[in-house]
Amino acid sequence: MYVVGIVLAVLFLFPIFWSTLTSLKSPAEASAVPPTYLPSVLTFENYVKLNQYGAGIARYIFNSAGVALITVLGTVVLSTLAGYGFSRFRFPASNLLFLMLLAALMIPFQSILTPLFLLMSAVKLQNSLIGLALVYITFQLPFGVFMMRNTFDVVPREIEEAALLDGCSTWQMLTRVMLVLVRPGIITVAVYAFLNSWNEFLAALILMTQEVNFTLPILLTSVRSGYYGAIDWGALQAGITVTILPCIVLFLFLQRYYMQGLMGGAVKG
Amino acid sequence: MQRIVKVWTGLLALLLLAACAAPVAAPGGEQAAGEPASGGVTISFWTRDSNQAQVRSLVDAWNASHENQIEITVIPASEYMTKVGASVGAGAPPDLMAVDLIYVPQFAAANQLTDITDLAKGLSYFDKLSPSHVRLATYDGKIFGLPFNAEGSYLIYNKGLFEQAGLDPENPPKTWGEIADAAAKIRALGEDIYGFYFSGACAGCNAFTFAPLIWANGGDVLSEDGTVATLADPSVAGALALYSQMWADGLIPPGAQADTGTDFANAFTTGKIGMAGTGAFAINNIKTNFPEIDFGATFLPGQEGGASSFAGGDSIAIPAGSKYPQEAFEFIQWATSEEVQLEYYAKLNNLPVRTDLAENEYFAQDSRLTTAAEAMAIGRTPYSIVYNQLFNDANGPWLKMIQTAVFDGKVEEAVNTAQEEFTKILAGQ
Amino acid sequence: MAAVFTPTKAARRGMGTLSQRRMVAGFLFVLPAVLFTVAMFIFPLLMTGWMSLHNWPLLGQATFLGIQNYVAMVQDSQFWASLWFTTQYTLLVTPPIFILAFLLALLVNSALRGIGIFRTIYFIPVVIGLGTSSLLWVWLLNDRVGILNGILLDLGWIQQPVIWLVDKNLAMTAIVVSIVWKTVGFSMILLLAGMQAVPDELYQAAEVDGASYWQRLWYILLPLLRSTFALALVLSVIGSYLAFDQFYIMTRGGPQNQTITAVYWIFNNSFTYYKLGYGAALSIGLLVILGLLSVLQLRVLRDDTTY
Repeated sequence: MYVVGIVLAVLFLFPIFWSTLTSLKSPAEASAVPPTYLPSVLTFENYVKLNQYGAGIARYIFNSAGVALITVLGTVVLSTLAGYGFSRFRFPASNLLFLMLLAALMIPFQSILTPLFLLMSAVKLQNSLIGLALVYITFQLPFGVFMMRNTFDVVPREIEEAALLDGCSTWQMLTRVMLVLVRPGIITVAVYAFLNSWNEFLAALILMTQEVNFTLPILLTSVRSGYYGAIDWGALQAGITVTILPCIVLFLFLQRYYMQGLMGGAVKG
Repeated sequence: MQRIVKVWTGLLALLLLAACAAPVAAPGGEQAAGEPASGGVTISFWTRDSNQAQVRSLVDAWNASHENQIEITVIPASEYMTKVGASVGAGAPPDLMAVDLIYVPQFAAANQLTDITDLAKGLSYFDKLSPSHVRLATYDGKIFGLPFNAEGSYLIYNKGLFEQAGLDPENPPKTWGEIADAAAKIRALGEDIYGFYFSGACAGCNAFTFAPLIWANGGDVLSEDGTVATLADPSVAGALALYSQMWADGLIPPGAQADTGTDFANAFTTGKIGMAGTGAFAINNIKTNFPEIDFGATFLPGQEGGASSFAGGDSIAIPAGSKYPQEAFEFIQWATSEEVQLEYYAKLNNLPVRTDLAENEYFAQDSRLTTAAEAMAIGRTPYSIVYNQLFNDANGPWLKMIQTAVFDGKVEEAVNTAQEEFTKILAGQ
Repeated sequence: MAAVFTPTKAARRGMGTLSQRRMVAGFLFVLPAVLFTVAMFIFPLLMTGWMSLHNWPLLGQATFLGIQNYVAMVQDSQFWASLWFTTQYTLLVTPPIFILAFLLALLVNSALRGIGIFRTIYFIPVVIGLGTSSLLWVWLLNDRVGILNGILLDLGWIQQPVIWLVDKNLAMTAIVVSIVWKTVGFSMILLLAGMQAVPDELYQAAEVDGASYWQRLWYILLPLLRSTFALALVLSVIGSYLAFDQFYIMTRGGPQNQTITAVYWIFNNSFTYYKLGYGAALSIGLLVILGLLSVLQLRVLRDDTTY
């Protein structure tokens, strides 16, 4: 059992590990034919080269993090409220509204990009990190609302009854009692929103009209297309490493809640 | 209930807070464009990433010496049109843009560019500007753009390998037969040494390096006005047969088939490729990064001689909604002036966009650059408002024709299908 | 959907108004999300529908066409070929994901010490973006600098570097492997959740009755996992039907246009041929097909299990 587990673990980690390792080779060694297994020297030269693209790597990390933060905040607030509403209250057309919220899952994002762009320019939010975050929130809501409704669903009703008897208002109930109980769900929604926002490319490209506002994935595309047929493999691996490392670190720190939330949300499905 | 109203206010506040905390107050933006601090204006300028190093140094030089400032945005080349199209559609174009010259007819046809005919013709060196750029920037008799960045395709070859194979490195191939012959001799040098290279999965690259073989032979892919497909021309099948035979003989490395255009310079710089079609940009790259490779440049020939080239690069144009058309043109004029062409183009190993400057003090030291500049001057470019769909689309008929002919060896079938598909696209434009 | 909250004795006095108030309260709770979705999704979607009735070039004026784009869609052989290819891809990629996810879930569901580490590792590729992971695989698979060919060559399994992305079958294999690697962890967690929700008593009872491990798996676990499978399957199938990034980045739709998915074709029409109206019509077409597919799947896998 352990042997199988370890072999699989090696296979799963292999691509990421090698990419990171390659990013630490010298630029010449990173594009050597045939490739070397281990770096002969460890150096950050590829990262220096990566930093020469566009407005510099720090700016792009800053932008990506900013957008991700707003997306996470917005998604968590909207999903928690809606999840609570759908789970605990009955009101006219609630099923219909729920389905409407889920429908965005089935749309290829590319197809509403043009209207979204027109909308964003009409309200003067194109080329702003907020505008981009608003778009991301839209596409995180289906998962977020679904997850939060299920998370609220598995909280025993007795807890609320007890709280009501103690004189809690609906609002107090949500903020003081329920939020603690549904924390894994909230973290799941937050992590999910972060990852998707951090990794999205096309909307970021279309909505941002100034270079200083670009996000990391746009940088990656630039690196990939290279300068006229001379792709810089080392810089590309450095870019990939910079892009995936925060995701992995975030996941490792929050995985307990994230997994718990995902599993809680899934069972009820 | 009141509580829930409070949620709303709280939510709004939260979003606003996030708005303030986030780096939205980036430098530039609308304020900067409207109210510059120094008295000049800020002109927004979009360009693609392929030649960003050159454009950046150019803009830096302008900004250091002029009151009006230029704010540059570099966009990944593959997404350039999508991005510009979306912005124009939303009424938010940049004040000035550099655009691949092949797209200018499409922009002009859609009334998206400012007519600069009078200003352009007022330039004393107007008739010295890259003829292909000017031709593509002309729509309905009016001029909508000027050359900004020039490229000419030509054949690059590894002199070291030529010598080893017993070929004269100072006498490169001048016909299709000589290309195939040289490729075969170089291939014989070793297991991992190949005679010829091209990016087999890159549509645009092959417009750049393959179409000139057809032109040099007297054929063409489109009629002069760009409305009729002429792929049935025997030159097309002939040039395809040349590639197809070299592929079948194993003179081209197998990896070429998968190259989407990101790797062809890397292939040549391994020093194990005899010849490849390329542009002036490669000279700079190889000289700087691979000084050990001794290479030459020659024209892309026809079957029995002749020479042609794809004149590529960017045109610079003022979008219809530009806030500062006057100021933008001042930059264009400055960029095409003799001094700038020499100091910021030629000196940095970039081709001048003027034919009268192909021979200059900087290129005198490197005949390969002169070859590239001359290639640009004799170069051609297909004129079409559906260029992208015909030639640049990775899933379009042009690349499909080359792949079917070269890798599957079905030249005739490839040409017939492509002629049909070209005709269909041109009819639907 | 949740049942109405049972009013407590204390609250029963003002019952009529209370349930009304709760109704309004519930509505207000979901209102922000609903308004947001209307503004940022439904409205743009309606506009996509409106655009689909036009010849809508990227640059220049749109002209009204009526249903002409839809007529063109029905006659568009590449659209149907793309749909068929997308279906093939979905059929190819789904079984490996689910079989592997199920086996991994069994593995990480065991009570062995330290098994949590494996669960974490198998999940890590899920947190990487699809675009990023596709770029990563382009490099791994490259015939010159890719480590995969390097290893296979050194092992002596191949004599020449394999050029993975030029042959339809090899390219599909490579893409399926990369996607399984990237997404299997997600399905694994969903299935694990389902497994852990199965009451232990059921297992113990079966064990007492002398059922073997595999019998318990087949007769107890799998049927009880039906609803979890349904959820995981719908999510996975929708994901596969919307596949774009991996093909755009890894094969560019090649070799010779044999790997163009439905979304890829929509993207091409909108952003390469600049026919935004036609692209919009194709999007609406795909939306209808996906909707039908999801309903069908949920029907087939409808859950009537009670523990």
